[in-house]
Amino acid sequence: MKINRHASVLGAVLAAGALVLSACGSDNNTAGGSTSGAGAPAPTGTAQVDCGGKKALTAEGSTAQKGAMEAFIAAYGQKCQGYQLAYNPTGSGNGVKNFTGGQVDFGGSDSALKKDKGEVDAAAKRCKGNPAWNLPLVFGPVAIVYNNKDAQELTLTGELAAKIFSGAITDWSDPAIAAANGGKALPAKKITVVFRADESGTTDNFQKYLSAAGKGAWTKDAGKKFNGGVGQGAQGSAGVADAVAAGDGAIAYAEWSYAQDKNLAMAKIDSGSGPVELNAQTAGVAIQSAKVKGTGNDLELDLKSLYSSNTPGAYPLVLATYEIVCSKGYDADTAKAVKAFLTVAATDAQGQLQEAGYVPLPNQFQSKLLTAIQAIS
Amino acid sequence: MTTATTDLDRPATPPAFQEISPGRKFRNRLATVLVTGAFLVAMVPLVWVIWTVLAKGLHRVLNADWWQKSFGGLTSRNPGGGVYHAIYGTLLQGLLCAVIAVPIAIMVAVYLVEYGRRSRLAKAVTFTVDILSGVPSIVAALFLYALWVTTLGLPRSAFAVSLALVLLMIPVVVRTTEELLKIVPDELREASYALGIPKWKTIVKIVLPTAMSGIITGVMLALARVMGETAPVLVLVGYNQFINYDPFQGNMASLPLLMNSERLTTNAIGEARVWGAAVTLVLIITVFNLLGSLLSRLTAIKTK
Repeated sequence: MKINRHASVLGAVLAAGALVLSACGSDNNTAGGSTSGAGAPAPTGTAQVDCGGKKALTAEGSTAQKGAMEAFIAAYGQKCQGYQLAYNPTGSGNGVKNFTGGQVDFGGSDSALKKDKGEVDAAAKRCKGNPAWNLPLVFGPVAIVYNNKDAQELTLTGELAAKIFSGAITDWSDPAIAAANGGKALPAKKITVVFRADESGTTDNFQKYLSAAGKGAWTKDAGKKFNGGVGQGAQGSAGVADAVAAGDGAIAYAEWSYAQDKNLAMAKIDSGSGPVELNAQTAGVAIQSAKVKGTGNDLELDLKSLYSSNTPGAYPLVLATYEIVCSKGYDADTAKAVKAFLTVAATDAQGQLQEAGYVPLPNQFQSKLLTAIQAIS
Repeated sequence: MTTATTDLDRPATPPAFQEISPGRKFRNRLATVLVTGAFLVAMVPLVWVIWTVLAKGLHRVLNADWWQKSFGGLTSRNPGGGVYHAIYGTLLQGLLCAVIAVPIAIMVAVYLVEYGRRSRLAKAVTFTVDILSGVPSIVAALFLYALWVTTLGLPRSAFAVSLALVLLMIPVVVRTTEELLKIVPDELREASYALGIPKWKTIVKIVLPTAMSGIITGVMLALARVMGETAPVLVLVGYNQFINYDPFQGNMASLPLLMNSERLTTNAIGEARVWGAAVTLVLIITVFNLLGSLLSRLTAIKTK
């Protein structure tokens, strides 16, 4: 009798649980009418996309790509009804690790696979003996954000930035800052440098920029850890943006989208051809001047040429983030879906990138990428 | 014998009512103030946390979409969507964990109390369970990652999360069940034996039903605890903004994972999502606790 009572109670609990778990939830948010943002610029070319293959792809990696990936996923779901991709923004290091470990279908990374770290070989092993390609699909400008009530506008040169972020210039009233800003000296105030405390591809690229554009003022190493030796650390780009928003006198580097979200002031960069402010157009000009150093369909970029260029009207501090994919070695289902996703990302989704803080692909790059994507098998 | 006379002079019992000395009154007041003060201090963070979570997240939760939809296809700049995918993940992972952990834990407790009393094996098991209950969740998660992904070469999945939660849940349930079985009076067992009923039947029909209401409460509390665990979901499964019904394949969201992931979205929309998910998680755990006490009341042995 008692056993029966217990059994019935347990049964009721299980039934209730099953009811909750099987009740139909929905992924369809288009009824809310927000995925195709009104007023978004027209997509830069729609493409014939061969939808199909694996229903739910997985990818993981760079946090810098998060916003772009969300736009890609939304576009992919619209173009290929019922197809999904789950992007896990856990950082470039994890992206590469989980890609080479075979846990995700492709990785997102702020830097190309490194030969000397064994990443290239590990990736080849994961792709069943075929090379992995670095496809620079997402370009996110990095803003030098600052918080100084006395400076509505600020222009920095690469050299000046290198000096500030290595501790050679410690006060806003420094004559070198005044010289770059038309001789107008700022009131004395201590400069607080805020940097990424965690390992980050943004830091890596920022330090590469400082050493390429700093005219020798940056004597420290590049790398995913900040080596400037000054300032205070903050966790993630979000933490950096928060710290700058909260601290008068602070200066830091963060992806454009974070600067936009927090309404932070962004410095103009003068690479020798006059101050250039950060916007999609100026960053696009810079990307166009970048050179590919990978071979064939591996589109690894030569960042030195990008960062040290003094092309007029170019904002050179752009973070190129890669999708790391297998050239061959996927099973047929996965290959088909990966190709479809990347094709949508490189074409239809480009129109929504700017409002998410990224730069749409210049045409020259778009066609190179599409050639590479079509070659995946 | 000299003391006998003085004893006779005293009244046999002291007077029932004595004037309370000022010292005792003072100590009484002091203790009352201290105890009440400690209670209030303990309440401050609790009320504060609940207030903050509700104030920041409640407006997002009061929306039918929140409970029925996922964030599928939405970017950080699109409001709307819901956390159905994460609620499903949290409940499914908790349920799978309970299905595996509860029978094992109850059988271990039965062995410890009914069969293995004071044997060397029972002592070893108790010791191991004690150690296991002190293992931080991140260690359980990493252990399972090493076993499941590195050694066996299996993909990360929601099922792996459930297995890590099993490691965390077993010691809790073993401990509570053991204590509850111990307080089942021996007279009940003896009465049963006297009627010629075998030991296993005594355990199944007499001992366990007597302790059942407490065991269910213990299971529910343990479940509520493991459902909020963050380390296993961070290590063993990836976030997914879409609904994934399959625990063995692909990424699956859960509420703690969703909060961790959306924390990267720095704008107001992301903040609302994180706080909304926090309210949802608190609500679900509260419901589980309430359900636990309700079930224990329903299954309690009627004592006339």
